[in-house]
Amino acid sequence: MNDPNDLTPAERRALEALPGERAPRAELEDRVVGALQRRGLLPIPLAVRTGRRHVLPWLVGAVAASLALFAGGFASGQYLGARSGAAAALSGVQASRGTPAQVAAHAERAGALYVAALVALNQVNDSTDVATWAKARQVALAALGAAAGEVAHLAPDDPLAAAVLRGLNERTQEQRPAPSTRSVVWF
Amino acid sequence: MIPGAAPDLTAERDRQLAERVLSGDEAAFRSLYRRHTPRLYQLALRLLAGDDAEAEDAVQDIWIKAVEKLETFRWESELSTWLHAIALNVSREALRRRGSRREVEWPENDEPAAAPPLERLEPVDLERAIASLPAGYRTVLVLHDVEGHTHEAIAEQLGVTPGTTKSQLFRARRAVRALLAPDQGRRAI
Repeated sequence: MNDPNDLTPAERRALEALPGERAPRAELEDRVVGALQRRGLLPIPLAVRTGRRHVLPWLVGAVAASLALFAGGFASGQYLGARSGAAAALSGVQASRGTPAQVAAHAERAGALYVAALVALNQVNDSTDVATWAKARQVALAALGAAAGEVAHLAPDDPLAAAVLRGLNERTQEQRPAPSTRSVVWF
Repeated sequence: MIPGAAPDLTAERDRQLAERVLSGDEAAFRSLYRRHTPRLYQLALRLLAGDDAEAEDAVQDIWIKAVEKLETFRWESELSTWLHAIALNVSREALRRRGSRREVEWPENDEPAAAPPLERLEPVDLERAIASLPAGYRTVLVLHDVEGHTHEAIAEQLGVTPGTTKSQLFRARRAVRALLAPDQGRRAI
């Protein structure tokens, strides 16, 4: 005899018709990957790792290198005046123990100088010195990676920083010769 | 393996991806995530009564726990089964955190009104009725009637006896019928 509490065929059909899968929002995937990276369960892209451990020296070094290139003959006269400002800004950031507003102001100045250096690089894009141009581009990308890494630490769910890091990481992997054994640097 | 039998490509692929995840391969993790998340999300969403935000948090916690413990997984069961168990635990933790703030109060001795079996059911109404159930009833009904688990398996996962899960299922089905029966006064739950 059937238990009156057993499902009727109609009820069973209805329950079986309920979907077994549903896709969450696409953004969740990056969020989960970010959460795993922050817990050290997935490696953080190189730029971010470097940014977190040696944030300031690396970023400052990269920007300083860009400025050194730029001062070494790349830049037109209108940017030379920025050198002293750059040095001041960098030393200010390095020595910074100021308020959040002061540190943010330093970051803003350094960012402006970085962009100014890139503008200068673009103006000499027709240079015949290919090797130096390539080196300058590498330095600019390194600084961009370090900066994006810091933005990712400030705002882990920021999709733009994540996209920049992902793009740079993919580019690095594409350019890297295939190693015989995979070596992963865990954060 | 039985000679001539087709290999379980799904399990094999899961295992390959999991090994790559353990070596820190983000792309492999993303593949694994895309293979299993829709089912995990649906389960969490149903157990958490349709709360999207909580279900997304649950999915994140499921994967964190899974990757943390992936190295200890012995591959004696399917990865999807293991992930499903983690999803159940994570969802129950979320329900406990939620506590009585948003959960329906339905005392044990307050029997749901009896209602006749249903002859016609729309999925959307059924989902809504399931979401309206108290968490305990909902969990057992989802695991038994939707996911197809046995009472023994559910009892083991929930740390109760099969008798308890049978009793919960009895009440859950009765409550769903009461909620969906056209001329039954819907009780406020």
